[in-house]
Amino acid sequence: MTDLTKTPADAGNGGPMVRSEDVHKSYGTVQVLKGIDLEVKQGEVFCLIGPSGSGKSTFLRCINHLEKINAGRLWVDGELVGYRQKGDRLYELKESEVALKRRDIGMVFQRFNLFPHMTALENVIEAPVQVKGESKADARNRGMALLERVGLADKAKNYPSQLSGGQQQRVAIARALAMKPKLMLFDEPTSALDPELVGDVLDVMRGLAEEGMTMVVVTHEMGFAREVGDALVFMDGGVVVESGNPRDVLTNPQHERTRAFLSKVL
Amino acid sequence: MNSLDKGKATKGRPETIKAVPVRHPGRWAGAVVIALLAAMLLSALFTNPAFKWDIVGKYLFHDSIVHGMLVTLELTALAMLMGVVGGIILAVMRLSPNPLLSGTAWIYIWIFRGTPVLVQLVFWNFLGLIWAKLSIGVPWGPEFWSESTNVLIPTFVAALLGLGLNEAAYMAEIVRGGIQSVDEGQSEASHALGMSRFQTMRRIVLPQAMRVIIPPTGNETISMLKTTSLVSVISLEEIFRAGQVIYSRNYQNIPLLIVVSLWYLFFTSLLTIGQYYIERHYARGSNRTLPPTPIQRLRRLFAGKPTPKTTADVVPGLEGGGHV
Repeated sequence: MTDLTKTPADAGNGGPMVRSEDVHKSYGTVQVLKGIDLEVKQGEVFCLIGPSGSGKSTFLRCINHLEKINAGRLWVDGELVGYRQKGDRLYELKESEVALKRRDIGMVFQRFNLFPHMTALENVIEAPVQVKGESKADARNRGMALLERVGLADKAKNYPSQLSGGQQQRVAIARALAMKPKLMLFDEPTSALDPELVGDVLDVMRGLAEEGMTMVVVTHEMGFAREVGDALVFMDGGVVVESGNPRDVLTNPQHERTRAFLSKVL
Repeated sequence: MNSLDKGKATKGRPETIKAVPVRHPGRWAGAVVIALLAAMLLSALFTNPAFKWDIVGKYLFHDSIVHGMLVTLELTALAMLMGVVGGIILAVMRLSPNPLLSGTAWIYIWIFRGTPVLVQLVFWNFLGLIWAKLSIGVPWGPEFWSESTNVLIPTFVAALLGLGLNEAAYMAEIVRGGIQSVDEGQSEASHALGMSRFQTMRRIVLPQAMRVIIPPTGNETISMLKTTSLVSVISLEEIFRAGQVIYSRNYQNIPLLIVVSLWYLFFTSLLTIGQYYIERHYARGSNRTLPPTPIQRLRRLFAGKPTPKTTADVVPGLEGGGHV
């Protein structure tokens, strides 16, 4: 499973995209993550499943430093998340440095979180123009291409409130892709959707996976995990209970807790 | 969809309901009473000689009244500008994780909201009694530049400071409420895209907060227009003071107070209309379709009512638009 003998120094570009060592996170006295060890390889679709409150979303949010971890170490593409290490000491990164690293990590939320005062296209070009300083014309061309790709070129001028949930989520994916990320995080991207709209979003994600995008996906879509996933982790109570190939874990779970969970959701 | 179309074709549209509407006798009785009272008031307005409408007409466009109105408008605009800009800065400071910034903003709001604006106005006017001159230089060290306070802060500036700084404290609370009304997911999404805290505030949070901030700001502006009359106590000749100066000479108190009131009413009405259109602008994206403006409604009324389409024709998505 996770190779703990490897030091972060030999991670770098060929190494794992995400590497987590004994990550702990608590809110006040409530422990949400109690030591997470895992590794997401380049180009891999990594699925996180588990009951609500198991800490899977929290872990995902730690990866782009929306949440600060309390103990352990977390690397993205060989670089520590949120800190710089000099000798034995950790130095907190400045806000601008954190922002710089977030550019490379796209995130898709359960509740879409599109900017409601901007059209679909404006949502997509906002960060490239504001953060990367791309020219509006270039950003618009790329933005239209991205909307085309998620099948929504004809909705470019619509505001989010004029789009269905599935359409909004696909715009949100295009928005994240506009920053040309090397890693995409999906936080239950289909949980807030009507069942008939789930398919369109999963199709877009499948397409991304085929192109070799590294993806960490928190999901309840076991079908998607089985078909598209390269690795799967079942979390419960803030720990990794079981991990492995999604087809193996889903069809032949080794742990009692995994079996109990799967019997309820499958 | 097909079955629906077929059903329509075979049965045709059912007959439109024609029912006797509910009668409202209470409304009619009420209207009669109101009409009677209005007639009494109007007759009093035009028959009571104390109103002296001829004098009202004579002074309505009097030079010093018009000049006073311009001062009032200028003061309102500048004080609101100070209030809004100051309010946004204070609100952002107040919500900052930096305790120095939030503490400073808290104390500012505490002082300026906790004392009457009338008292503050008089204070600014008498600033020269506290510091005879104001200077720039090294603290407790040499001065590079200094100027007498009374020259630096003439009555107009004192009035502006008094109204603007006080307004900033109120606007700060309005802006803070607006910022806090924006869903946290918005700033999370913005941060996840690599936008800085400043960019997130300017591009994502404030434009959305505007929808909550605009209506009370409109009220504040209307209220400011009237509050400027307070600066008459420091002898700045805005419209109320201009009226007072005239009636202290000719003793036509009531007609001049009516002149002043008519001007206030005229401009508060203009502001109300302006507020309507600004609110509409910031409702972008929150309503699926904006309601027509009163002018659009009037135009439609005179152009003749468009025949409403049958509901089946306008159900979205039926034409394959995927607009569910």
